[in-house]
Amino acid sequence: MQAALPVTNRSVSPARKPWSQRLLPYLMIAPTFLIVFLFTLKPAVSAVIDSTLKPARLAQDPPAFVGLQNYADLFNPTHHLGARFGGILLNTVLFAFGTVAIGMPLALGFALLINRRLPLRGVWRFGFVYPSLLPLIGAASIWAFIYADQVGLLAAILRAANPNWLGSPGLVLGAVIVVNVWSQTGYYMLLFLAGLQGIPRDLYEAAALDGANYWQQLLRLTLPLLRRTTLFVLTVSFTFAFQAVELLQGLTEGGPGDRSNLILYFIYQNIGERRNWGHINAITIILAVIVLVFTLSSFLFFERGGRESER
Amino acid sequence: MNAKPRSISRHFSWGSVLANVVTILAAGIWLTPLLFTALMSFRPPAEPVTQGNIFVGTILTTENYTRAWEIAPWPDHYRNSIIFVVGTLAVQLVTVTLAGYAFARMTFFGRDLLLILVLLQLMIPPGVLLAQNFATIRDLGLFDTHVAMMIPYWGSAFGTLLLRQAFREVPIELEEAARIDGATLVQVLRHVYVPLAVPTYIAFGVVSVSSHWNEFLWPLVVTQSESVRPLTVAINKLIRTADQGSLYSLLMAGTVLVIAPLSIVFMIFQRRFVESFASSGVK
Repeated sequence: MQAALPVTNRSVSPARKPWSQRLLPYLMIAPTFLIVFLFTLKPAVSAVIDSTLKPARLAQDPPAFVGLQNYADLFNPTHHLGARFGGILLNTVLFAFGTVAIGMPLALGFALLINRRLPLRGVWRFGFVYPSLLPLIGAASIWAFIYADQVGLLAAILRAANPNWLGSPGLVLGAVIVVNVWSQTGYYMLLFLAGLQGIPRDLYEAAALDGANYWQQLLRLTLPLLRRTTLFVLTVSFTFAFQAVELLQGLTEGGPGDRSNLILYFIYQNIGERRNWGHINAITIILAVIVLVFTLSSFLFFERGGRESER
Repeated sequence: MNAKPRSISRHFSWGSVLANVVTILAAGIWLTPLLFTALMSFRPPAEPVTQGNIFVGTILTTENYTRAWEIAPWPDHYRNSIIFVVGTLAVQLVTVTLAGYAFARMTFFGRDLLLILVLLQLMIPPGVLLAQNFATIRDLGLFDTHVAMMIPYWGSAFGTLLLRQAFREVPIELEEAARIDGATLVQVLRHVYVPLAVPTYIAFGVVSVSSHWNEFLWPLVVTQSESVRPLTVAINKLIRTADQGSLYSLLMAGTVLVIAPLSIVFMIFQRRFVESFASSGVK
C-alpha cells in the first residue's frame, strides 16, 4: 500500500497536468491557510514587530522604534508594568507547575483505579471526567460559591477556622490551582486510560507468571510503557495552564494585589491600553515562546516516535 | 490452567476491595462541588449555606431559577452559543475536508512547508495572540458579531491533521476505480473519502463543539452586546451580580442553566465523548 502510493502519484505528476489541475491543491488549502495566516502567522509576526515599538502620544503619529526597551522595561522593577510583571511571570510558572505536580499523579491514580474490574465503573469514571467537560468559567462560578468568605461552602464546613481563601495573598494562588486541578484531572485521566488500554494484556500475564506482584508490575511494566502518554499529558497540561484565565475572571480578577495574576490575564487587562501596546506585545512574545517550547518539544518527540512506529 | 488466574485474583482480593473504596471516595470528592451546586440552586435565597442544614434549606424552592432567568436574556445566549458552535463546525467540516485531502493525496510544490505553517496553529494557540487578534477583528470591522467569534476557528490545523491521517488510510484503489468510472473530485470525496472517515468526523465534531461551547475569553473580548454573546459570557455577568450581594443560590441556579444542556448530551453519549477525547488528545 505504502509503496504503491508514490508510483500512482508520479503517473499523474504535476508537471504534465493542465494549469487548472496544478492550481487545485492550492485552492483546496486556501481557506484553511487564509485563517491560519490571519490569526496565527500574521499576528505572531506583528507581535514581534510591535514589541519593538513605542506608541506615540497621539494616535495619528507613527510609533518610535525602541529596540528591546519594552522587554527591558518588563524586568525593570521601577517601571510601572515591570513592577508587576516579575510577580505575574512567577505566578504563571508556579500555577503551571503546581497544576501538573498535583494533577498528573492524581490523573494517573484515577486511571489505574478505573482501569480495573469494578462495579458501576461507568458511574465513577463519569464522576472524574464530568468536571473537565464544564466550561472553566462554570467551574469558577461553582468554586466562587465554595470559597466565598463567610457564606461559602467551606465556611459552612470549617466554621470559624475558615480562612478567606481568595482574599489572602498567601492562599489565593493555591486556591486557584485546586480549581484548575479539579477541572482538568478527569481529562488527563482519560488520556492515561487510553494509554493503559494500549498495553497488551499478555505482558501482565507473563509478569504474573514470573511472580511479580501488583506494585512490581506497576513500577517495571506500566509506568515505563506509559512514558509517551505521560509526556503528552505533561505538554497538554502546561499549555492549558498558561491559558486558564477564566478562573481568574470568575474568582479573583488576578488579586489581591496581583497575587493570583497570570500572564494571559494580564494581557487581557491591558488590551485596551494603547500606550502599553508595545509592552503587551513583548509580553505576548514571552508567553508565545514559553508555550512554543512546550508544544514544539512534544511535537518533535511525537513526530519522531510516530515515524518510528510506522516503520 | 484454571488454578493460576483464580489464585491471583484471590491473592489480590483484599487489595481490590480497598481500591474500590478509594475509587468511590475519590469520585465522591470529585462530584461533591456539583452535588452542592445542585442543592444550593434549590435553597431559599435568604438562607446562606452557613445557616441551618448544610444540604437543604427550610424549603426547596425554584425561586433562584426564576430570578436567574430574569437577570439575563437566556434564550438569546442559548441561541448565540448554538450559532457559535454550529457555525464554527459547519465551516470547519468543509475546510478540513478540502485541506485534509490535498495534504493526504495530492503532490504539489511547497506541500510540506505549507503543512508546517498550518501546524503552527497547534503550537501557538490563537488565544495566546489575543491582543493582536482582537486588533485584527476590529480592523476587519467584525467587532461584536457572531462571525468575530467563529472566524479564527474556520481553519483548523487539528482537524486538517486528523482528516489527512484518515484519508491516507483509504485504499487508493477505491479512488482510482471511481476515477476510471469518470467520477469528479467532488464525487470522489463525497462517495469514497467522506463515508470512510465518518468516525474521524465524529471525533473531531465532538471535540470542536464541546470546546467552543465552553469557550469564554475570545467571545468576551470580541463582543459586547448580549444579542451576540454566548452562555459562558453570561455566566461571567452573573458571577459579578452574585458576588456583590452574596447571592450564591442564584449563582448556582444560573450555573446549572449554563451547564445543563451539554451535561445532558454528555450523559447520553458518554461513551462517544470518552472515546473522542481519548483518541484526539486535544480538547
